[in-house]
Amino acid sequence: MITARLFPLELHRLLQSRLTWLVIALSVLSPLAGLVLYKPASAGTMLSVYLANPAIAGGAVSGILFGALTIYERSRSLQRRTAVLVSAVLSPLDLALAQMLALTAAAFLALGLTMAAWLPVSIKLIGSVFDSFDYVLAYLIFMGLALPLAILAAGAVCQFTGRADLSLVCFSAFAGLSLTVWADNWQLCWLNPCVWALSDDFSNLRIFRSAAYMRFTWLTALTGIWAFSRLCIRQYGKGILGSLARNMRRVYRPAAAALLLALSVTVGIAQPLVDHSNPDETIASFLELPYLENVLCSGRSAQVFPNTALGTVSGRASFQFENTSGQQQTAAFGINPGYTVSSVQANGVGVPFSVSSYQEFNEAMLKVFLPAENEIELTVEYSGFPQEDRNSSSMQGRTEISSEYLCLENAALSPRLMNVLPDGGMLPAAIEITLPASMTVIPFGTGEATAAAHNNDGTTTWRYQDNGAGGILYAGDYIRQDIEAGGISVEFYYGRRHQAVMEAADAAGAVKAVADYCTEHYGALTFAAGGSLKLIQSRVSGGGYATGGASLLDEADFTATNLNNQSKGAVPGEVMIHELVHQWWGLGNMFDSSDETDAWSAEGLTVYTTYRIVKELYGEDYARQYYVDQWQQAVDDYYLNFYIRNPEDLEMLPADKRLEITESLTYVRQYCEMPLKILKAEGLVGGETAMDRILRELFNRELDPAAPYLTYQNFLDACGLREEDLNLA
Amino acid sequence: MRKIFHYECCRLLRNKFFIGLLLVLLFFGWQVLSRRTILGVSHTAPFSPWSFGDYLSRMIPLLWIGAMLFLTFFTSAAARRAAVLTDAAPAHPRCYAMARCAAALTGTTLLALCCLAEAAAFYWSYFRWLDWGELLLPALVTLAPPLVFALGSGWLAGQIRPWLVYLWMALPLAWTALPLPKPFGIWNGHFFTEYPLTLQILDPAFTMPIPVLLTQCTFLSAGLTLLTCRPEKREHGKKRK
Repeated sequence: MITARLFPLELHRLLQSRLTWLVIALSVLSPLAGLVLYKPASAGTMLSVYLANPAIAGGAVSGILFGALTIYERSRSLQRRTAVLVSAVLSPLDLALAQMLALTAAAFLALGLTMAAWLPVSIKLIGSVFDSFDYVLAYLIFMGLALPLAILAAGAVCQFTGRADLSLVCFSAFAGLSLTVWADNWQLCWLNPCVWALSDDFSNLRIFRSAAYMRFTWLTALTGIWAFSRLCIRQYGKGILGSLARNMRRVYRPAAAALLLALSVTVGIAQPLVDHSNPDETIASFLELPYLENVLCSGRSAQVFPNTALGTVSGRASFQFENTSGQQQTAAFGINPGYTVSSVQANGVGVPFSVSSYQEFNEAMLKVFLPAENEIELTVEYSGFPQEDRNSSSMQGRTEISSEYLCLENAALSPRLMNVLPDGGMLPAAIEITLPASMTVIPFGTGEATAAAHNNDGTTTWRYQDNGAGGILYAGDYIRQDIEAGGISVEFYYGRRHQAVMEAADAAGAVKAVADYCTEHYGALTFAAGGSLKLIQSRVSGGGYATGGASLLDEADFTATNLNNQSKGAVPGEVMIHELVHQWWGLGNMFDSSDETDAWSAEGLTVYTTYRIVKELYGEDYARQYYVDQWQQAVDDYYLNFYIRNPEDLEMLPADKRLEITESLTYVRQYCEMPLKILKAEGLVGGETAMDRILRELFNRELDPAAPYLTYQNFLDACGLREEDLNLA
Repeated sequence: MRKIFHYECCRLLRNKFFIGLLLVLLFFGWQVLSRRTILGVSHTAPFSPWSFGDYLSRMIPLLWIGAMLFLTFFTSAAARRAAVLTDAAPAHPRCYAMARCAAALTGTTLLALCCLAEAAAFYWSYFRWLDWGELLLPALVTLAPPLVFALGSGWLAGQIRPWLVYLWMALPLAWTALPLPKPFGIWNGHFFTEYPLTLQILDPAFTMPIPVLLTQCTFLSAGLTLLTCRPEKREHGKKRK
């Protein structure tokens, strides 16, 4: 009650201070820093550049300002020696609470003014892809929630130390850590959330959830710390311990603080957004599971029900097994670590199962005991919030599930069978998914989805046939454009909101040019006779992938920024070109991918071909500057890296540090070193025409079923070169 | 003078603030060392002069704030009230001020030495590395100019208006955020990450181009000048008239 009476008085007093208004004014201006100085979101989408960056910078700057204001306000009575008088009238604990609430109210006033002031600016800068929902959420989460956190942190250190100077140091260090060494850790960066991209064309709920969760974790932690520090407010001339002992007499106070701290620790540890995958990505133990003997799988099906409001998925997967071993067997499935398996039944009877705590590549292992029966119909029911791989936790947003966009990959769609061979080499899959009627379902592969039923609740059930243990599915508000290129039919899917940009960028023309180039230089795709190729635009994800009959196009390939700035480093459509080329190198020709650290992979030839296409489309200078020179720079950096030159020093580091360093270097070997070697080979064999002829022969070579892979030795033999001829050192 | 210096050192260093500041600094330093410095900069070892300089440049903002807060011991309103008594001491005001500046310098130097000791402990624990001779020069050129300048300019600011010291504390925020000209590269750490690459040799020994050296010398000289040459303080009696 006293606090309720004090709060308006304190707020009124605070708003009469010129310093408060100075801080509010600077807070309103603070998003400007995100346009000029501090740009944590690196993606080129309009919302990343003109919404995420200003909002995050605004949160960081105004958080620091409000933290400093809090320290000033909390130490004012000490400096002016009025604390003794004030505490004779009021409990300093009540006053601290009222001050904290008043400061928070002032902070939200600053946020409101900032949002009002920047709304027209953002509409102008972002243009046609401006979305008011994204705008409100970005400013509330990225900027707004930084302010109470800063106020709580600054207030807590003031109350612990009882000194303004030490509080300033502690707060500066805390803010400094968030802005520098903690900036890449999505749970630690309390002031500047780890947001690398916002999508222009699709929703951004997953990344907002991630940032909001981080804020919530810190909010509970800092509220707990603040509540505990409140007990340390000096009273009755006592020191910190004496005051703490005195203030703890009312048990609910320390109990509330302890509860909040326990809650924050629980919330932090049990976060549902990111899994605990093995950080060592050279280990793929799930792929090395031995196949069960005398057990075959003849088919599978799944009914998937995404909840687009909550971002969760529930589903039921069925597998048809033939167990001729006459004994119990253990089938293994990969399942998204965020899912809970509620029931597993074999022929309608519950069977024991377990989910491993060990996770790798965004999968946990579900082990199911198959009974000793000949025909088994296994049903797995699962549900939960799909988690993302922790090895890419600083780039969250991939598993977006909303009424605008959905992407479910492999074990996030349905349990992925790992240790049972398909019957006859084929594993037919019938997938059903129920989604809002506005969404179009696009299986990432050769399957075609059809609307099987329109339900009364405004949803549509889609059905498609697939083949294999895994599968990827995209859904959203897509437009389809059909393109004939290179003798194949390309189904080009992109977001409705992106239509204007796609047309202005002549994306269809770029797709056609790439397909024509590859067909002309290397040969037609083998599936082209009867099939077609899907090219699907994904939400901004920083890369892509390809599979037989489908390639991905990143939203950032064609942005309004790229259209306006042709001189920028990333070639428009770069990911699209790369993933389309994978239809020739990686899918048309297979590469042995068992050794993740091997420099020879599908990426080498794909990156080289991308360079050749870019050279043809954008000119030699452009290709040299943005491809060859960058490969060379990366390779030079790699060979010069201290730990590459001194592996004995690397061995001295703890395992986690060693892993962090080696993981960051593997990329260079596949994506930069190998393309450079192929480029060197091109020079040695007599130029581009000769290399094209060699690659064409390799692409169209007679496949040996016993050794279907295109090896480095095959490539060297075709070029008439030895391995040492291509050494770059 | 020695007694005054000793007394002021005790005031600055034997209190909760110094211990708290030290703990915060050590925590921050360990985070920087174990998350950034361990990777090395510009293809050099984590214990190269360049990586070490990068670590120190990341520590400068906190050391700067610490130095400013030491000065608030002498420039705050409470200190000004006590000046009526201290001015009555049988020592020239200039000498008295010198003793105080020396005490602040001592405190700041102690903090800086703790950062160096922490780096030494880090290098030993991770790499069993002890060859400290080559790191002394980068430590000196990285830390001495900004910290001496911090004390000199902060002292002057505090004499003009006590609250200016607090404003001056925010200066590191500005220099880390703003794109500084190359001669100021040591202040935001860019010098240590960029300059070795321009030398075109592996593991280059620590050298500095003339403009950077001049900049550091200028700041050191300016700091020393501000510390030693200051306008005569008005006497309180005269002020009352």
